[in-house]
Amino acid sequence: MAGVSAIGQALLRWASILGVLALWQGFAEAHVVSAFLLPAFSTVVVRLYHDVVSGDVILGIALTLYRAFAGFALAAVAGIAIGVMIARVPPMRWFFDPLVSIGLPMPKIAFLPVFILWFGVFDASKILMVAFSAVFPVVVSAWAAADGVEHVLLWSALSLGASRAQLLWEIALPSSLPQIFTGLQVAMPIALIVEIISEMAMGGEGLGGSIMTDMRFADSPGVFAGILAIAIVGAGLVRAMELIRRRLLVWHAEASAA
Amino acid sequence: MTATGISFRGVSHTYRPPRGQPVLALQDVSLEVREREFLALLGPSGCGKSTLLYLLGGFLPVETGEITVAAKRVAGPGPDRGIVFQNFALYPWKTVRQNILYGLEKQRLPRAERERRAQELVELVHLRGFENSYPAQLSGGMKQRVAIARTLAVDPAILLMDEPFGALDAQTRALMHEELLAIIRRRPKTVVFVTHDVREAVYLADRVAVMSARPGRIKEIVDTSFAGERGAEIAGTHAFAEKVEHIWGLVRNEAILAQERREP
Repeated sequence: MAGVSAIGQALLRWASILGVLALWQGFAEAHVVSAFLLPAFSTVVVRLYHDVVSGDVILGIALTLYRAFAGFALAAVAGIAIGVMIARVPPMRWFFDPLVSIGLPMPKIAFLPVFILWFGVFDASKILMVAFSAVFPVVVSAWAAADGVEHVLLWSALSLGASRAQLLWEIALPSSLPQIFTGLQVAMPIALIVEIISEMAMGGEGLGGSIMTDMRFADSPGVFAGILAIAIVGAGLVRAMELIRRRLLVWHAEASAA
Repeated sequence: MTATGISFRGVSHTYRPPRGQPVLALQDVSLEVREREFLALLGPSGCGKSTLLYLLGGFLPVETGEITVAAKRVAGPGPDRGIVFQNFALYPWKTVRQNILYGLEKQRLPRAERERRAQELVELVHLRGFENSYPAQLSGGMKQRVAIARTLAVDPAILLMDEPFGALDAQTRALMHEELLAIIRRRPKTVVFVTHDVREAVYLADRVAVMSARPGRIKEIVDTSFAGERGAEIAGTHAFAEKVEHIWGLVRNEAILAQERREP
């Protein structure tokens, strides 16, 4: 857009968010509905500030992120390993292909009661629930990536003296990285969503647990402050993944074009 | 002094696609490539010339017949036979320097020696100043120069080239011809060069093996050595034009056959 300054562009990008927040504030101040049903944005921000200062929100974020990251890490390691094996070992493909086609589109959260039954209501069941939900996009992306490794890359490495094991680690894996990372970028928000739903359903504090507690105490600014915190954490995670991608894939054409 | 004579004896190859009928790609190919000779394999697309090169490279298993290098049977890829592909096959996550270093890292050489050789090759292919660029930042001609340097780094006695300049524009291709000839003048190699470009084959090669349309067979081997002269020195001569004309005559019918087969 010619004539629009960098600051103008940034404002434009934030305009819709600022607009919604302004509407929220105006609507609440007009007292159309009670402050219990919709506390003013300013009230929520002040509440969030107090929760941050008291350390409550920080503790909640730490707990939620710990479990979400633990599940995400499990999903990443298992997903890449399974995906690569599906691509390279035919019996693995026969076994996993139908399971993946059923599991990928299914809402894995339906297994929550089963996970509670099997693994209890503490960290283990939440972490496993997250891992089970987030593993599918990683499997699919690693599978497609490993299937698509150009055979001339493998051939040239072989003729330069690489061993079979070196082919996998030095050629197949790095050349698959852009696609695998896309799968991880899909898996990350899934991990956060499932972690928060699990906390809401089975307690155990964290961001999801604390908004349920606030709801039971009819503390509506607390609920909205929790939602605001979740939104900020989610946006931060997505942004962080983009930055890591740009760092890690500096060689990729998309990165040099940007 | 190592012997690098290559010999194909009665080599046939059947391509079995995952779906559909098996196709006889090569039929009873016998051919000798002399040491430090530049041999071009010329034929219409789909005639199996690249397959023949991949068999020699050890990338595909030799099922019928025998291929030997220095009297030893080919049983897999090896650093004695370096290969350059049409689409460069560079490692995009490695810089120019790292690409060239890859093969050197597989050899037991001191680090300083590896770096020295890599730098030497960067200069040989005129890429000084681009050592730390990634392939995505280079032009097609530069990419192919990196690929050639990477292959030369392990100093293979035999250079296999699979339509290496086919993806380049005409001007770049002409420059790359000069560069390739200059490189093998400085580092003599046995070269097997696959192409479907008649002029390119006559221009570069000592001998041109003309292949028939599928199933690929050696139709005729034409001497194009012009008393040891190659490249620009001979391109304008009458003798050069005659060779091109003669070989084009051999290839023309095969190309027509290949095309009819593609449009049934």
